[in-house]
Amino acid sequence: MIAVSTVAVRNIGRSVDSNDWVNHTHAVILETEALRSSLLVANGTLHTYVLTGDPRDQTACRNALADIDDHFQILSALTRLAPTDHAKVGQLELPINRYSRSIEELLVAKAAGQDNTVRTLLEASTINNAVREMERVIKSLKDNQLALLTERDTASYHQSQTTRWTVWTGVALNVLLLAGVAWLIRDDLSARRQVTTALEEANRFLESRVKERTRELGSANRHLSTENLERRWANHSLEHQLRYNQRIIDSISDLVFVTTHSLNISRVNPAVLHVTGADSTSLISKPLKEVVRLVVAPAGSLSPLPDPLKYALKAGQDLRDQPAEIQDRLGQRIPVVLSLFPLRDNNRVVGGIITLRVTRPASKHSA
Amino acid sequence: MKKHILIVDDEADIRDLLNEFLSGNDYRVTTVGSAGEAMLAGQSDPPDLIISDLQLENTDGLEMIANLKKAIPGKPVILLTGVLFDPEVVEGVLSTKVDSYLMKTTPLSRILETVRNLLKE
Repeated sequence: MIAVSTVAVRNIGRSVDSNDWVNHTHAVILETEALRSSLLVANGTLHTYVLTGDPRDQTACRNALADIDDHFQILSALTRLAPTDHAKVGQLELPINRYSRSIEELLVAKAAGQDNTVRTLLEASTINNAVREMERVIKSLKDNQLALLTERDTASYHQSQTTRWTVWTGVALNVLLLAGVAWLIRDDLSARRQVTTALEEANRFLESRVKERTRELGSANRHLSTENLERRWANHSLEHQLRYNQRIIDSISDLVFVTTHSLNISRVNPAVLHVTGADSTSLISKPLKEVVRLVVAPAGSLSPLPDPLKYALKAGQDLRDQPAEIQDRLGQRIPVVLSLFPLRDNNRVVGGIITLRVTRPASKHSA
Repeated sequence: MKKHILIVDDEADIRDLLNEFLSGNDYRVTTVGSAGEAMLAGQSDPPDLIISDLQLENTDGLEMIANLKKAIPGKPVILLTGVLFDPEVVEGVLSTKVDSYLMKTTPLSRILETVRNLLKE
């Protein structure tokens, strides 16, 4: 595009210069013709004056001579920059001067009424020679200019054609370039649309995954919240249940011992502390038999059992309403009625629950 | 419109937990801590269902339930208690006074199921 523009501009510049030169050449030709016309006018008015003797014809002749000189000066100025043409114009100077002098002599002679001098000057070849010389130079100059014009017209035509072809070629190239760019842009747009479509699809997929994940998380969160609530409810209700059960057991007036499988005391209720006067730390882990003992062997037994409580626990059997004694901290024995119940966990006997009902109140002890 | 449940229990933790759970399951819940408050709440804003504890401060839960049924008849009652009853006691006595009996150790999901059944949802 730059190359075409440069060539086009250069050609246009040359065309402008060519036009300037043509105008200049036409000006030279016009001045040459004007000079020739002035020469003819000078000749004509001269002969008219010679015939009429009218001062007006004399004036006209002198004016024509002045015109010849003016046109010569103009021609000289116009061809100043063209040495060849300038030299040719220079060839007019002598004949113009000779002609002007001769005409002037004739005019003076005629004005003076010197007809013989007029006749002699007319018959002399000076004027004619000058005129012939001037016409020869003028014709040569004009022909030369016309030849140059023709040459320049041809060159100008060729240049115009070149400019036209350059411009049209440039236009065609630009159209091709534009078509190429349009094709590339179309490709690019198509690729961008594909990428946009792919991005939109990926975005939709991600959005749906995010929504799905959000739903899953929401559901998991709700599930966890519900589980948490259930856990808190279970903990609280268990604690509440334990508290109630503890209160119920603590309010029983019967003495309650909880023992291990080997009948060591693991827990007592407040009634035990109240009746025995002992504190719980002195009773926990102590063998039960150090505090409580059966008075007689259980009914129905064939022989006294060394430890009926152990036997019942081992057998997993209840033992009810057996007379027994409990010893308080002062060593005083208090009669009670004993019952034993195996403590089971998943059907395995893991300990025993021994309850004692006081049959005869003993002296009160502070627990 | 959301169904309205009145919860009567003297323990704040129990009331708060049940409120949180049932509100989360789209019920409107009113909680009170005594029989007096229950009567006031029941008459001013009659519930669709009542959940009550048995052991209330200064009153018997069953007695309060009987009074509430007189004031706002036709509303189902769930007895939610930590006291363990014999099945015969539940069948014979409680079934005439309440519509359902549940231990406090019953999971919340089971309590919700009972609520929905009684409200016919």
